[in-house]
Amino acid sequence: MIQPQTHLNVADNSGARELMCIRIIGASNRRYARIGDVIVAVIKEAIPNTPLERSEVIRAVIVRTCKELKRANGMIIRYDDNAAVIIDQEGNPKGTRIFGAIARELRQNFTKIVSLAPEVL
Amino acid sequence: MLSALRSRAHSLSSPSIRQPWLWKLNQSSPFSSLTRDKDGRTEILKLDEIEKVLSEVRADDIKVIRVGDQCDLTDYMVFATGRSSWHVRNIAQALVYKAGGYFAKDICKAMVHDFYHGNYRSYIMILNYIAKQKQKEAKRMLLPSVEGEESGNWIVVDSGSVIVHALDEKARAYYDLESRWAKEKPPAESSQELDTALVKVRRKNNSKKRVQANA
Repeated sequence: MIQPQTHLNVADNSGARELMCIRIIGASNRRYARIGDVIVAVIKEAIPNTPLERSEVIRAVIVRTCKELKRANGMIIRYDDNAAVIIDQEGNPKGTRIFGAIARELRQNFTKIVSLAPEVL
Repeated sequence: MLSALRSRAHSLSSPSIRQPWLWKLNQSSPFSSLTRDKDGRTEILKLDEIEKVLSEVRADDIKVIRVGDQCDLTDYMVFATGRSSWHVRNIAQALVYKAGGYFAKDICKAMVHDFYHGNYRSYIMILNYIAKQKQKEAKRMLLPSVEGEESGNWIVVDSGSVIVHALDEKARAYYDLESRWAKEKPPAESSQELDTALVKVRRKNNSKKRVQANA
């Protein structure tokens, strides 16, 4: 359950460290984003000397949420943190590597992210 | 009446996709769709076909990496380079086109087979019932999913057991996907190294014993 003002970790090597959600892409008045949703976010903290800077507005895909993800077979997945991967308008990831485990649900729309990920749950 | 029903059922179901079961998958569940490989994954495109298509559209630097043992996502990753975004898009489209053609061929084969062997009759009632439901699903499964067609610098064609990445040169160098997937093999070696390292630790312990013995 990611909503505007939620802070998220960054799960890639793009150079940003922390994001804040400012908008959820989808319907006009959508409240919450889950795993696999695209959000508009602002970079709150960035690693120095990287292409991304603080207070830059970017798009990101949510890859991990503290709120549990339910699957049809009864499996429940929840992570310790909220994390997102920075993408551009076309859906290409900004970073070249992704950190941490990623849910299989992302394969539907973000095969690129899944193929960069170290582990898929 | 029955014969009329049968003939109608036949005419209805003969162009359906379910027909391949009759001759192909008698041994396995009739609910499997299209062709399936031994692990039960749907196969829309086969690896050799992909390689053929890629060489036909002159994709550069084709690399096939077997990843089935590293992750359960897919069995093979295929990487190909296109010279321009137009070329990359063309590679993806050729693969999708091939997948469609394969599907049509499958139906034709089944129909011809049916024509020669009249063994479909016992199945016809079941077929007619399932065909309508399964046809929709089969249509959805028909084509591989394609991602990134707008940008044209990295297009992924995901056909279940094989994922094809078509990239332009810049994107291929930037993301360096092969090293990510080829790198997974060294961990097996490194685990061996770890074992040897552990053995070494024991040797050190032995040396300590020797020291004690000396003392």
